[in-house]
Amino acid sequence: MAEIGHGGKEIVERILGPAEAVAQTKGLKSVEVRSQIANEIIDIAYGWFTPLVGFMGKADLDSVCKKMRLTNGAVWSIPILFDLSEGEVSDNGIKEGDSLLLTYDENPMAIFEVEEIYDYDKGEMCQAVYGTTEDKHPGCARTYQYKDKFLGGKITLANRPKINPPYAPYFIPPLEMRKRFREKGWERVVAHQTRNVPHTGHEWLMKGAWFQAYAELSIEKPLVGVLVNAIIGAKRKGDYIDEAIILTHDELRKSGYFGDHNHLTSLTFWDMRYAGPREAIFHAMLRTNLGLTHHMYGRDHAGVGTYYGAYDAHRLLATVQDELAITPVYSMNWLYCPHCGEITSEGLCNHRQEWQMFSGTLIRSIVQDGVKPPRLIFRPEVFDLVMECAEKYGFGSPFVTDEYLEKRTPVFNIPPLSA
Amino acid sequence: MAEEKFPINIWVNEERYEKLQTAGLADMCEEMLAGLKVIRVYANSAQRDKILQVFPTAKFDSATTKSIELLPREVKDAIFGKVVEKRSIDILEEFLGQY
Ligand SMILES: [Zn+2]
Repeated sequence: MAEIGHGGKEIVERILGPAEAVAQTKGLKSVEVRSQIANEIIDIAYGWFTPLVGFMGKADLDSVCKKMRLTNGAVWSIPILFDLSEGEVSDNGIKEGDSLLLTYDENPMAIFEVEEIYDYDKGEMCQAVYGTTEDKHPGCARTYQYKDKFLGGKITLANRPKINPPYAPYFIPPLEMRKRFREKGWERVVAHQTRNVPHTGHEWLMKGAWFQAYAELSIEKPLVGVLVNAIIGAKRKGDYIDEAIILTHDELRKSGYFGDHNHLTSLTFWDMRYAGPREAIFHAMLRTNLGLTHHMYGRDHAGVGTYYGAYDAHRLLATVQDELAITPVYSMNWLYCPHCGEITSEGLCNHRQEWQMFSGTLIRSIVQDGVKPPRLIFRPEVFDLVMECAEKYGFGSPFVTDEYLEKRTPVFNIPPLSA
Repeated sequence: MAEEKFPINIWVNEERYEKLQTAGLADMCEEMLAGLKVIRVYANSAQRDKILQVFPTAKFDSATTKSIELLPREVKDAIFGKVVEKRSIDILEEFLGQY
């Protein structure tokens, strides 16, 4: 059965077997890539980026900037680019029509068929994608860091990544994910995008979205799941460490706040661009390819600072809704109401004067003060696991430090290639 | 119109609670979020800006709680110490004077 992904295109893994890979990579010029590019190679090869089969050429990039579409007409909101400096291109004698061997960890990773080498104005790109050219916007900063030449062409993975503990069980590529959903019998699955350790506000966002997605379906057997899809990529100091994020989400299932029948935790490799509305569309595409039917969006989805309005992402989604195979589920904030004595929605409770809002930042501040938050706010199993992760993976801290950035175990490695 | 005030939440762990009890100040605690003890020291906007500048890890949660969070533990201990010493939460001007 063909698995149809975003843009109505079949999801096809672009991955060579070991013997083919050894034969086809022999004699190719090699170029070492950085982690962002390695992440995107994995996303292309396993189908997270369907219908893309490689890094964008100029016509696609231009079309994405100006029309938020690929040249084939499919909605696409974020440029996916491979960059080199002019010197790297000329020193290596790289020209259009070449095949390159891309390496990571100095080991062979993928074959890149260079179809095009081109320039593009970075300021224009920033304005189109991020709505600003300011370099303090992290997406713009990332764009300005691209070197001056862009190379477009197809990618084929020659060597599968080795996903390191504790991440391995959560690396579930699109074709495998769709199989899991079928095994579970889920007719609808709603995505929870996260880069956070969950407090009960997040837990209720998921529960609320589950109710919304469930709607008119039969309740005779479980038909709806929540997929936590953690974005794993570049970290900023002060963020929760990746190990804590992924393991605590799964802990909500293990500790019974959810169960196997309605909850699954997974990851996607992606360096956040903080593109707000355009990133919201991008997340819809990624999760369409993973086989989801619904996607949660709160306020200021994937935004940063004050660049985007709280509901800009919802409005942009509405303009392309007919072309997306995923239905947005909009979430109001959850809060603690001492009068109700429970976590409730701002759309439900009317004890407005008594409301106590809480955020991930507030919880971090409580934890940092050496206080264990009440279970209504932060689950004790989650708290204990955060502390365990701090010791086991975070060099004593559950938050990203310089030491963590320097010494952490990478999420994946590319092993030597052998037939 | 009254000037807008932004709280610094000093979460009261056992160690801090003991000190408050010893000083006879246990009543200073408010209760938030289903049972958390907290002392809230309020900053005006100028004080808030100074705090964010002097302590770069601190964050103003503008979206949700309008509070100043993620001050280093030592800094919170120092603010807490001042509250106990002065038996008042109105200590921020004096506290910030040393920076
Ligand atoms: Zn209420």
